[in-house]
Amino acid sequence: MMLVRAFVSHYRRHPFQLAALAVMIILATMLWTGVTVLTEQARSSLFQSEEAVAARVQVVRADGQPVNVEDFARLRMAGLCIAPWLEVQRPPPEGRAIGIDPLAMGCFGDATPGGDSGELDGAPFLDIAEAARLASEGYDRRLYLLAKHENVTLPESYMLREFSLGPPTGELADSFLLNLDALSLLVLLITGLLVRSVHRLGIAQRQSSFELLFRFGVPVRRVQQLLALELVVLTGICVLPGLWLGAKLAGMLGGGFGQALDSLFDVTLYAGSAEALPWQAAGVMVLLVLAVCLVDWLVPQRWQGAVSSNRGRLVAVLVLVAGLAVVALASDLARVFAGTALAFIGAGWLTPGMLAWLAQRLSDRAHPDGAGPLTRWRRRELAVMFRHLALPVVALQFAMATVLAVQALVTTFESTFDDWLAQRLEAEFYVEVPPGADAGLAADRLRVLEGVGSWHRVLRGEAIISSDGAGSDDRTLPVDLFALAPISDLVSDWTLLASVDKPWQQLEQGGVMVNEQLARRRQLELGQALEVLVADTAISVAVVAIYADYGRPAGELLMAGAALPEGFVTRFESFSVNPGELPMADIRAQLAEVWNVTDVTVRDNASVRALASRVFGQTFLLTRAISLLTLVLAAVALLIMSWVFFTTRVWYFRLLGIWGLPARAVRSQLRRLSVTLTLAVTLAALPLGIWLTWVLVSRINPLAFGWSLPMALYPGFWLELGLVAVITGLVVARLMRRQLIHRESGKQVKA
Amino acid sequence: MRLGAGFTTLFLAMVAAGCSDPSTGNGFAGLAQQPGDVDQSGFLQPQPGDTLTFPEDWGPHPQHRIEWWYLTANLKTADGEPLGVQWTQFRQALQPRAVESEPPDPDHWPLEAAWMAHGAVSFNGEHWFAEKLARGDVGHAGATVEPFRVWLDDWQLKSVPDSDHWRLQLQGDGWAYDLRLSNTDRVVAHGDNGFSAKSASGEGSMYFSLVDLRIEGTVTLDEETLEVSGKGWFDREWSSQFLKAGQQGWDWFALHLDGGEKLMGFRLREDDGAFLAGSWITAGGDVEALDSEDLTLSPASWQASEQGRVPVEWRLTIPRHGVDLTIAAPPGNYWNTGLYPYWESPVSVTGSHQGVGYMELTGYSE
Amino acid sequence: MSGPVLATEGLSKGFISGGQRLPVLSGLTLGVLPGESLAVVGRSGSGKSTLLNLLCGLQRADEGVITVAGESFDSSGNRGFATRWAELRRRSIGVVFQDANLMPALSLVENVRLRTHLAGLTGGDERDWLERLGVGAEADRYPDQVSGGQAQRAALAMVFAMSPALILADEPTGSLDRHTADEVAECLFDMQANNGCALVLATHDRELAGRCDHLLDLSGTH
Repeated sequence: MMLVRAFVSHYRRHPFQLAALAVMIILATMLWTGVTVLTEQARSSLFQSEEAVAARVQVVRADGQPVNVEDFARLRMAGLCIAPWLEVQRPPPEGRAIGIDPLAMGCFGDATPGGDSGELDGAPFLDIAEAARLASEGYDRRLYLLAKHENVTLPESYMLREFSLGPPTGELADSFLLNLDALSLLVLLITGLLVRSVHRLGIAQRQSSFELLFRFGVPVRRVQQLLALELVVLTGICVLPGLWLGAKLAGMLGGGFGQALDSLFDVTLYAGSAEALPWQAAGVMVLLVLAVCLVDWLVPQRWQGAVSSNRGRLVAVLVLVAGLAVVALASDLARVFAGTALAFIGAGWLTPGMLAWLAQRLSDRAHPDGAGPLTRWRRRELAVMFRHLALPVVALQFAMATVLAVQALVTTFESTFDDWLAQRLEAEFYVEVPPGADAGLAADRLRVLEGVGSWHRVLRGEAIISSDGAGSDDRTLPVDLFALAPISDLVSDWTLLASVDKPWQQLEQGGVMVNEQLARRRQLELGQALEVLVADTAISVAVVAIYADYGRPAGELLMAGAALPEGFVTRFESFSVNPGELPMADIRAQLAEVWNVTDVTVRDNASVRALASRVFGQTFLLTRAISLLTLVLAAVALLIMSWVFFTTRVWYFRLLGIWGLPARAVRSQLRRLSVTLTLAVTLAALPLGIWLTWVLVSRINPLAFGWSLPMALYPGFWLELGLVAVITGLVVARLMRRQLIHRESGKQVKA
Repeated sequence: MRLGAGFTTLFLAMVAAGCSDPSTGNGFAGLAQQPGDVDQSGFLQPQPGDTLTFPEDWGPHPQHRIEWWYLTANLKTADGEPLGVQWTQFRQALQPRAVESEPPDPDHWPLEAAWMAHGAVSFNGEHWFAEKLARGDVGHAGATVEPFRVWLDDWQLKSVPDSDHWRLQLQGDGWAYDLRLSNTDRVVAHGDNGFSAKSASGEGSMYFSLVDLRIEGTVTLDEETLEVSGKGWFDREWSSQFLKAGQQGWDWFALHLDGGEKLMGFRLREDDGAFLAGSWITAGGDVEALDSEDLTLSPASWQASEQGRVPVEWRLTIPRHGVDLTIAAPPGNYWNTGLYPYWESPVSVTGSHQGVGYMELTGYSE
Repeated sequence: MSGPVLATEGLSKGFISGGQRLPVLSGLTLGVLPGESLAVVGRSGSGKSTLLNLLCGLQRADEGVITVAGESFDSSGNRGFATRWAELRRRSIGVVFQDANLMPALSLVENVRLRTHLAGLTGGDERDWLERLGVGAEADRYPDQVSGGQAQRAALAMVFAMSPALILADEPTGSLDRHTADEVAECLFDMQANNGCALVLATHDRELAGRCDHLLDLSGTH
């Protein structure tokens, strides 16, 4: 008992050290918990928004007539799992209502349309009788019959069609989630560094009391056990508030997100899991704290000493180079992750030493005249700080690198996503050609329609590339063929990765465009001639452009409708229409008349696009929040550490004052020192962050999904980060200054 | 269970939306306990003195809240192995509708009534069960008198044109049956000319049966098709209140005795005791209504299962006819695990008489 | 030089402890002429360090006037005093403590250069000063690479390099062994004699105090 008392008495004399460690564990737990919850939220919201807009199958009548309740009954009585979906369009603010029949949805099991909406617990999902009643008030209504599977055998007079509330996001979402996971791991790494740095500091400051205990005959082992026990107790106590704070924080950040989804879908798609504390996150945290703090017993003392020796630096360089090489050359994801970890370890190992060396070099160059000697002193102090604050410096560097990479990634994702939406939703409206209807007639009608905006007809079918002209091999490759007729200016915004001069005219004159994936797979180049088999007719076409496909793995050919050979089998046809001066309802009516059907399916691309953009926008926002949180924690850690560290250096600032440097000038030295420190860390984070961005977009993504995002850099954001660094530095200086004042009022000149 | 929760919610939603009375608490067709008295406004309640009308009573009774068409069959395979079959189709009204008024327009996706069908096969100690749900008046579920037909999706019972037999076709996940039912014209009215009392205070239902069905056909289990034949029991019953307040569930038996006699008996468990009634049908077809004075029924052995504890062996006596029977379910688990789980098993009869039959136990699910 | 480098008149200082004022110095009047040395002795806590702090403006007196190198400071805490004191310390007052007189991040010669730079001197003779104090060979070493005696010599080199009018030394040999302490003291008095500056030396060491021209015993002065 006496021993325990002696053991903890250190903290009685230095409560600040205990508080620092406790605060660090709480903050670290908060960050990790917040990140875990937010990642989980981002994941589930992405999943749910995907679900909500995911393609499903619907049953339509082969005769082109809209389906009705008799069709539903007939299909059900044929033993098919079919559910009705009655959309009623009301003007805002009520908006769209969707009537569903929960009784009929029993057979859908978990694949219930509209998410887990079997519970009918919120608008827009209503019982279908209620929706039908609304429709009878004069609102536009449309019935869809959803099928559970794509592979059902339908009676003769029915066919399956895709049914979607929006565009499928495909691998874009998966890729994003993978990157989110990578981010979480980085956060954990940073958290570990922070906790370890505070703990090391505490141990260093208690070294003398430990030595006293050894002298009193307490075995080293016993001290270590007590230390471990102390840590377990402290972690146990601190993890709880951290957990709670993290969940609260995530709840706060996620709240806005949930609201956005609410207004978007009129339904609470995101059921907040933040209410339940994520205990597994706490478990990970406790393990992490124990691991990073007790690593000293596991790693022999000799090795630890070698870390900052020349040989240690050599090892660090080797680790860094190995990491870079592995990432550059790896052929699978696991190796890229491992390589990234190695590169981070190597970089983190080297950075403080390098920064200190640099500061030392610069101090030697400080001019002996003018403010030289003072500058020299400040740079030397900086070098000392780099060495002593190695762990928090590295943590801040990692955090900044992460923030940089995440920002670049998210911005890239956003713009890619925008482009992708723009390409798929090029016109304001999208009109499906009903089965059996003659699209040619409709095109004729649109051509003579006064006031209509840009439009084109898309014919979709199949083609086989028999030879790519390069003669390298003559593997045949089936591809999707898209034909545009006419080629309107709707497509002129497409992102072309490469193109000849005036590509769209060239396309009109018989050229083809190929998608990125096809171009990559067959190493196609502009101007190259392709032998293509379309409807058993061999044609030779030149590649006039390569367009971005954002990850669609299937090969695609795009050509002018006029260039299609006779006998081309159109599998699917649609129109993309900008209504121009006409109301879309008129165009719709015209098409219905031409096709002699009562109703024409028109998709309002603008609303689909707005919906998709907003959902993803929120997800991106969350990701930014996570990285920012990491940065804040790293900055706080640096603050705490700097403060503690400064207590050992405060005398030398005082000495400057005794030597006659005015207080204002002393404070200025302090500011310049701390701002230089944080700015230097930012500079050190830049290459790492850029490299990490490259790894995410150019290595991880292609390996995981076979396509790469464009690599973009955002120097504007670097400046913002620099500003954050300056502010952090100023706050550190401010805290130190308080300590300076505090000491001055003391009785003795000396500390 | 996700869907279960969904349907329960729907049910409440439907009740709240379509019905002035928010407390149709006894689940679907009385399969669950009800918490209190039920407002019967608008619904007809069977009374002593009500009689049966044919052929109308084969069809639905839109002015009554609940009703069912129900078949159990004790069949044998070509190898002589016993095989039990059950099919029930329930109708539960949310709104009463006068018999003479037109059904609502299907285009409105009306929600006056919901339908539920249960199908089960019991064989070799195994039990297959499936449940289907539908809203009425839309077309994929319903019942008609001429021609006689009861259906929900692709499950249906219908009369075969120009014959006196019916055909019942069902298929579930891994099982199916296709049965021909004959001897469908000998109706047995229970209780007082069809009014079957369900409590001492006079509540009851209209209830008649076909007790001597002959059945043959095929049952397919896991892609193996078995030829089957045997005896069946068909019930028609409707009411607007089945279990009154304080009744927890029922134990119901329909037995074919080897001497040609048939016996139907049930016990409604109440807070303080039970209400018993039944019908004794002689080999010649004479029907005698039984009441608590004539009939004793008591559990003899219980079986624990995940769903709850159920009495799987019973003693039934009718001293007046020298009947003292032990009724036992075969080994196995015969819970119909739908929205409202209940026990439905074939039984064997020993004691003063030998025989087979079916047993339905509700209100034991935990 | 006429007149004292350092003079005090009616100097008083006390501290508040437990709600009571504990006087440390009361009405102290003294004067030190250029080239003179004054030893301040007394028990621990008798106010030696406090007096030194007052004499270089690091603490403010409750009452009295201090005059250093012709500049007078009363106890009013005039806002301009801090700047004037800083200016005095930078150019005219050399302070030597028991230890930690050097910046650990700078070599000995760099320390001396920093001090002369602050004193506004162009410098260039830092190595000579170190040489004169016997630590020329250690000029490029860092404080933690030299002995305590060498560090104190370097500290003295720093002080003399700025050619101060007044040196305040607070137990300058307190952490040295006898032999080294004597050597360092020797240096101090030699240099002071050559330099002609005034010296105020706070010490426990009676022998050291005995080498000064005047003695001020603070024990029992209050």
